[in-house]
Amino acid sequence: MSSTPPRGGGRTPRPRLARLPALGRIASAVIPLALLAAACGGAATPSTVMVEAITPAPLGVRDTAFDPPVPAPDLRLTDGDGRPFDLASLRGTPVFVYFGYTHCPDVCPTTLADLREAIAASGVDARVVFVTVDPARDDAAAMKQYTDYYQSGFIGLTGSDADIAAATAAWGVTYAKLPGDSGSGYAMAHSTDTYLVDADGMLRHHVFFGAPADLIAGLLRDVAGG
Amino acid sequence: MRITTRAALAATAVAVASMAIAGCSSAGGGGITVTDAWARTSMAMAEAGAAYMVIENTGTAADAITGGSSPVAEAVEVHETVDMSSAMPAESAGMDGGMASASPDAMAGGGVMGMQKVDRLEVPAGGSVELKPGSYHIMLIGLKQELKAGETIELTLDFEKAGPVVVKAEVRAN
Repeated sequence: MSSTPPRGGGRTPRPRLARLPALGRIASAVIPLALLAAACGGAATPSTVMVEAITPAPLGVRDTAFDPPVPAPDLRLTDGDGRPFDLASLRGTPVFVYFGYTHCPDVCPTTLADLREAIAASGVDARVVFVTVDPARDDAAAMKQYTDYYQSGFIGLTGSDADIAAATAAWGVTYAKLPGDSGSGYAMAHSTDTYLVDADGMLRHHVFFGAPADLIAGLLRDVAGG
Repeated sequence: MRITTRAALAATAVAVASMAIAGCSSAGGGGITVTDAWARTSMAMAEAGAAYMVIENTGTAADAITGGSSPVAEAVEVHETVDMSSAMPAESAGMDGGMASASPDAMAGGGVMGMQKVDRLEVPAGGSVELKPGSYHIMLIGLKQELKAGETIELTLDFEKAGPVVVKAEVRAN
């Protein structure tokens, strides 16, 4: 499907999802998030967890289709203009939904640049919704500035700690504040899947980090029926 | 006084320049070669930008990056993006009595990744290290200017043995 080598180099992808239907994965992911939050002192506050250094993981090309497609979870937060936003308002257009934060130097800019490139290459009118997992630093203005830099029309969403905790739980997204001594302050660990929602509001794919733009463009064309 | 200051400045500039030259020549002559250096486009207000490259050590002894600097950033650090998919669900795995069939792998909400600062990035003798998205990267903290596609930025990477190595990185979008 793609001539671009995956960003993981020669590492062997783990067959992490081969056994499970995508829906089961989403449902099960909500539970550890809830437990993680509970264990760290309350769902409303993204908590600091100590995370051991992990051997760099396989970052190959991994896409999982939702088969059959399932309705995308609700996503009601605050947009970059400070107005209420409802994902349902984008029905009629395919949407990429991605969770990250604006202080993120590597994974988030890579993903957003890949999405921008994929949409341009696909010729499909699609939107990108970027949801912060770091609402303490990412207010509406910060989100707008960040998403506008990538492309006018990208939508940045934020909310209260509780709003973000609820939205990420619904989407099976996990995140945590990481301790560190970087000059940039703290970093966030977060799920790096990008979700592709079709024009009817159905979840069609989650695209793993490192998927080349032309692969993503192909998925988008497929979802758009082109 | 003014002349003295100027003279001092000039002397400093010469000293800095010769140090830089020394760093370059020692790097080129016996050890560190940097290729394919690029930095991602970033807005000026960004808290953090990133640069990537391949660092090769043709010498007979291991060397390591211990820090760096750049005129475009307040600070330069080496960071590593790491997969924490296993670590995060594992926090709750012990409490998850009813979900025995759901391994940490399966529960991971899709490649949970975090980032950590790397105080010392070793480049083995006769080997190389690739800095690339989703892995090691040079973090440009507190950007002072927009990084525009087509421009070139300068980074100085400090190596334990090779000393300061000046790297020119092309700015591009992806």
